[in-house]
Amino acid sequence: MVIQYKCPNCGSDMTFDAESGSLSCDNCGRQDNIENFSEDFIETVFEENEAKEYHCENCGAVIVTDGDTAATNCSFCGAAVVLADRVAGILAPSLVLPFTITKQQAEQAFRKWCKRGLLTPKDFKMADRIKEITGMYVPFWLYDLKNEAKIHAIGTRVRNYTRGDYIYTETKYYDVYRDLRIDFSRVPVDASEKMDDSLMDKLEPYQYNDLKDFKTPYLAGYIAEKYNYDADDLLPRVKDKMSKPLDDYIRSTISGYHSVNYKDKKIRTSKSKSLYTFLPVWMVYYDYEQAEHIFAMNGQTGKVVGKPPLSKAKIAGWFASIAGGSFILMKIISFIVTGGINF
Amino acid sequence: MNRLLKRAIIFIGFFFLLTPTVFADVKRIYDEADLLGAEQIQHLEEQAASYFSEWSTDFIIVTTNDTEGKSLMSYTQDVSDDLAEELNRAEDNMVILTIYIESSEDREAYIAAFGKGKEYVDNARVQLILDHIIPPLSDDDYFGAFELFFEKSAEYLNIRPGVNPESLLLNTYVQLAVAIGLGGIIVFFMAYSSGGRSTVTSGTYLNRNNSQIVRKHDRYLRKTVTRKRKPSNNNRGGGSGFSGGGGGVTRAGRSHSGGGRKF
Ligand SMILES: [Zn+2]
Ligand SMILES: [Zn+2]
Repeated sequence: MVIQYKCPNCGSDMTFDAESGSLSCDNCGRQDNIENFSEDFIETVFEENEAKEYHCENCGAVIVTDGDTAATNCSFCGAAVVLADRVAGILAPSLVLPFTITKQQAEQAFRKWCKRGLLTPKDFKMADRIKEITGMYVPFWLYDLKNEAKIHAIGTRVRNYTRGDYIYTETKYYDVYRDLRIDFSRVPVDASEKMDDSLMDKLEPYQYNDLKDFKTPYLAGYIAEKYNYDADDLLPRVKDKMSKPLDDYIRSTISGYHSVNYKDKKIRTSKSKSLYTFLPVWMVYYDYEQAEHIFAMNGQTGKVVGKPPLSKAKIAGWFASIAGGSFILMKIISFIVTGGINF
Repeated sequence: MNRLLKRAIIFIGFFFLLTPTVFADVKRIYDEADLLGAEQIQHLEEQAASYFSEWSTDFIIVTTNDTEGKSLMSYTQDVSDDLAEELNRAEDNMVILTIYIESSEDREAYIAAFGKGKEYVDNARVQLILDHIIPPLSDDDYFGAFELFFEKSAEYLNIRPGVNPESLLLNTYVQLAVAIGLGGIIVFFMAYSSGGRSTVTSGTYLNRNNSQIVRKHDRYLRKTVTRKRKPSNNNRGGGSGFSGGGGGVTRAGRSHSGGGRKF
């Protein structure tokens, strides 16, 4: 079963408009509020064998998908289609963060970002070989984690004082105990096999105020993928991701000591909630020197990540000017400090 | 008559303009212990004269076998008082090095500095000069030590008071190394961060309302005390034997910086 949105006025295909946040018709300009759409089928469980092949309702062509595609465009007529069974049942997302950056804005923002690169080659900065920009809803799990930490540590306080000809150093040792409750909310971890984890991590943070209950029209006009890993599969990754914030919080509760030496750390982490969520990402495919470079842009904030090519000449130039400049500066300072005054 | 007067005025004017500054025949090297050859003395005199024209400061060297029973510091003060009276400078700027040779085992050097010399060659810098000149003095290279004394004193007169003239930060090689290191670190960081960085902090996902300390205690266990001797101020110069620190005021009431060391 595929879902397509036909304009009630003119019968054209409607897509999600990032600027207005509504389902809109390019042809007649009609805009429909998405919040009011009913999504009864989301509870539906589709038959295993039902969805082997999807056909476009406009032109009847077979829609090219791989096993993970949840939304795409008909490759013949371009109509936005959502594959209903891949966003229903256990695959139904709870939340979606709609795109707020349009394709045009994404391209402009990417060009601007290319120009800002201080070490990127000149011809890369022109940003004139963008092969493709694709708006993609990437499947994430947003975890709520509950941590119970019981910490034993030895803390020291050091004091120096002088009596007669001697300097005394007094070290006091304390038995430090903390029983802590530490909660994290909505920690995102990408659940798509295709996406590079470190690239996705760098796209954070997202503004969660704009999260919406999932409705299929948000996907109209974009590519969407279903998750490959469920919330339990990725629990180790989210725990690992939060281990530093956890340590930082623990350390922040132990203050007033010169040194803290942990004797015993018992931490129990449990998942109190995990919400399947689609987060918006613009994928930018860029051809440079016979190689394809992939960049990702946060579809909500416009933040760009990805390794741009680096120019050896520019690296050398920057190195020379920083090193040379600071050397001259130090020479000037030492001249002022030393030779500046004669008598 | 009028023309003649004009000519006379012009002539007198030219006379004053063209008259070279005549160096009075000032003696600055007093080698009573006979440590130097005549040529060496001549060379040092010339150097001292040129330093005077550059710095308006008298660089004086006195060597002796007899301090008339006084400490080398008092002896230096008295010699310097006599010289100051003789020179009768408008500004009393003087750096003086005295060498006392009692025997080849019992030798001592003392440096005193007056006026602007005192300001620029303060007690700490006197110790630095001693650090430089004691090794050649110990090797009986008096001429080399005296040249070094001139060189270092003149160098320090060029360096604002309060700055450590031997500071590594003033060393060209150190500056070069710092510059290269700085360039390398900054460019590495630029390249590293060109791919974008996560701007998430430890607090981003923390739920502050539900995070709290349930129970805690901080119990005093025990204490340890260690002690060490206060570092003494007179321990400069390490193995070079006795070091006397500080300046004083001469009989004539001239205050000075100074310091001495046996070698
Ligand atoms: Zn329409
Ligand atoms: Zn079609």
